[in-house]
Amino acid sequence: MTFDVPNGQVLALIGLSGSGKSTLLRILNGLHAPTGGNVRVLGVDVGSARGTELRELRRNIGFVFQQFGLVGRSTCLENVLNGALGRLRGPRMGVRSYPSELRRDALAHLDRVGLGTVAFQRADTLSGGQMQRVAIARSLMQHPSILLADEPVASLDPESSTQVLELIGKIAREDGRTVVCTLHQVELAMGWADRIVGLESGRVVLDAATSGLTIEKVMSVYRRASLQAEPLPLLSV
Amino acid sequence: MLRLFGAGFVGAFLWSWFSLDMSIISFFAGLGDVRNLLGRMFPPDFSNWSTIVNATFETLWMAVIGTFVSALVCVPLAFGAASNTTPHAVVRYVCRGIISLTRAVPEIIFAALFVVVLSIGPLPGILAIAIHSIGMIGKLFADAIEQTQASPREAITSVGARRLQTTVSSIVPQAMPSMIATAMYRLEINIRASSVLGLVGAGGIGFVIQDSLRSLDYQAALAAVACIFVLITAIELISAQVRQSLLGENTNVLANRRQSGYAKRKVARDTARNERAIRDRSLTPPWTSERILRTSSAVVAGLMLIVAFLLVDMPLLGALPRYPDLILVLGDLFPPDFSTARDELVKGMTESVQIAFVATGLGLFLSVPLGILGARNIVVRRVIVLSTRVTLLLLRGIPELIVAVIFVSAMGLGPVPGTLALTLVTATFTSKLFADTLEEVDPSPREALVAVGASRVQEFVAAVVPQALPGIVSQTLYILDVNLRSSTVLGIVGGGGIGFLLLGSLRVLEYQTTGAVVLSIFLIVYFIELVGSIVRRLLR
Repeated sequence: MTFDVPNGQVLALIGLSGSGKSTLLRILNGLHAPTGGNVRVLGVDVGSARGTELRELRRNIGFVFQQFGLVGRSTCLENVLNGALGRLRGPRMGVRSYPSELRRDALAHLDRVGLGTVAFQRADTLSGGQMQRVAIARSLMQHPSILLADEPVASLDPESSTQVLELIGKIAREDGRTVVCTLHQVELAMGWADRIVGLESGRVVLDAATSGLTIEKVMSVYRRASLQAEPLPLLSV
Repeated sequence: MLRLFGAGFVGAFLWSWFSLDMSIISFFAGLGDVRNLLGRMFPPDFSNWSTIVNATFETLWMAVIGTFVSALVCVPLAFGAASNTTPHAVVRYVCRGIISLTRAVPEIIFAALFVVVLSIGPLPGILAIAIHSIGMIGKLFADAIEQTQASPREAITSVGARRLQTTVSSIVPQAMPSMIATAMYRLEINIRASSVLGLVGAGGIGFVIQDSLRSLDYQAALAAVACIFVLITAIELISAQVRQSLLGENTNVLANRRQSGYAKRKVARDTARNERAIRDRSLTPPWTSERILRTSSAVVAGLMLIVAFLLVDMPLLGALPRYPDLILVLGDLFPPDFSTARDELVKGMTESVQIAFVATGLGLFLSVPLGILGARNIVVRRVIVLSTRVTLLLLRGIPELIVAVIFVSAMGLGPVPGTLALTLVTATFTSKLFADTLEEVDPSPREALVAVGASRVQEFVAAVVPQALPGIVSQTLYILDVNLRSSTVLGIVGGGGIGFLLLGSLRVLEYQTTGAVVLSIFLIVYFIELVGSIVRRLLR
């Protein structure tokens, strides 16, 4: 597949499970190595980047995971501070092991996602929507140029899903950050992203700005895949 | 298949019972002898109190240092042994191998070996405790690391953190509570262990107890037993409280219990402190009860460690030139010599296995009713539950070898007093495990049966027993495993089994025979562990 994402664009990746969305995001961050081809992120060839170069690249890419990736027993503030680890030397344990300007920064990010009041609460005491907002605050701590989000609302209820997506969209537009987000909810993607890319078995089957797209056209990505799939045997009673 | 194992256990129990010449009469006669001895022990004689108190504290400090050293060694070992943190498969196998090997040899055997090289005193005892504890601490540390969630680790890697930063920020906070709880639990076990190491000259109160009993000064012996009993009970109570607050309780246990007024006030106080910190834009976490407990526990542990290192007569550096000899002594165990004392070896091993089966079977028989009486969700009357729990706690306060020394003093040498002592210890320990398992059952199936009009007995049989049974079977296997290890050292105090040959071969410097005994113990314990893992798999 080949496509470019310009600065400041909010792009939604859609497609059936197994179409390669999550793999693509992980390759962009260097969490998975590409088996072939050329992936350049912020001018760096991700496939060949190792050690310090790869860590420097990751520092500039925020990643929001479906399962949040929070340390449940740590406080929300400490979880947000973990986002600064790429800029720091040596290991850190406990809030007080971070410089006070970073702690102030982390508190401001928690305020921004609307969770300043739970800074000293353990992360595992929060709801799913709140946890995801803490995870977003953690990626803001990186001051990233790009924000990747892998199914950020898949584990959330509809109300929390809308809140989280609105928050990501707001951050992207206010800060001019590039966002690449995988989503299953087509209607949410239509109302939120600047552009939609549809994947099927690792190939791009749709790439268009949301302004000129109809819901039928987007849904065709899913229909194509189901038509190509083996028909299920009929049940006989 | 499970029935086959059950029948096998019953068969082994009956074979052991008759081979050891156990009978109901000998059981009660034995208890009568012990009662007579206990009568002669009262009142305890504290006239030699300074020796007793010093020996008690030496026992505590030995356990503290041994556990600390072991935990320290286990941190890198566990990270090497855990599948999610090991740098290489070879490293993993080596670390796992070290952990398994150290667990197989009881600490009193290590102590007896080390006394030969380092002479009598607490140092060989501390080293023995530290080495033997690696087996349990290392395994549970590695399990704690393996049980951590992978997603925080991936998330922290994704921000550009280095490997060490990722480990410290994602794995350590998740595994730490469980690791501290393991170390505390091991400290409890090690205090019991260090109180008997004196029997082979490795420091602590064991020597004072044995010396008093040998000189028929029973009242002084009871004073020493009372001191160690107070120490063990106090440490167990404190440790249980700290472990519970670190790990939290099983949700089913919480569902079965009402929140006390104190707990509600604590939550309200913590909430207020949190709100004040947020209002003040504080950059440090507030002093909630959890943080206070954590910090004060760390300070107390640190102070205990400093005091232990300062007070114990332990020439760590002075003994430095003799450390290579320790390795040599361990090397002298090889190649094991099975031929010189073959008959004693076979007889001793068989007797140890028989003692373990009888003690486990009898202990089980006593534990089931005691376990039920100690479960808060089964027995409604709080006074019964409380008195059962307190009695069990008090009975657990005396280490098994000390119980064995008392039983041997009362009944004479042989496997019967050893078996009875082990039975008593098994019953108290297993009852607590059973009571805890019963408290952890899910209350909803019970409610469903009450809703259809079932009686209390029907509800217990149909809803509680099926839920608790896998846990109880698994614990029984664990107890059998523990008893096998224990029965191999009972002979050191004259309680029958292979321990007598073990100590004898060490005293006459026949290390290769010692090696044969140690290897035999290892193989038998390994076999029982293997059977245990098969049965546990069948239970899943």
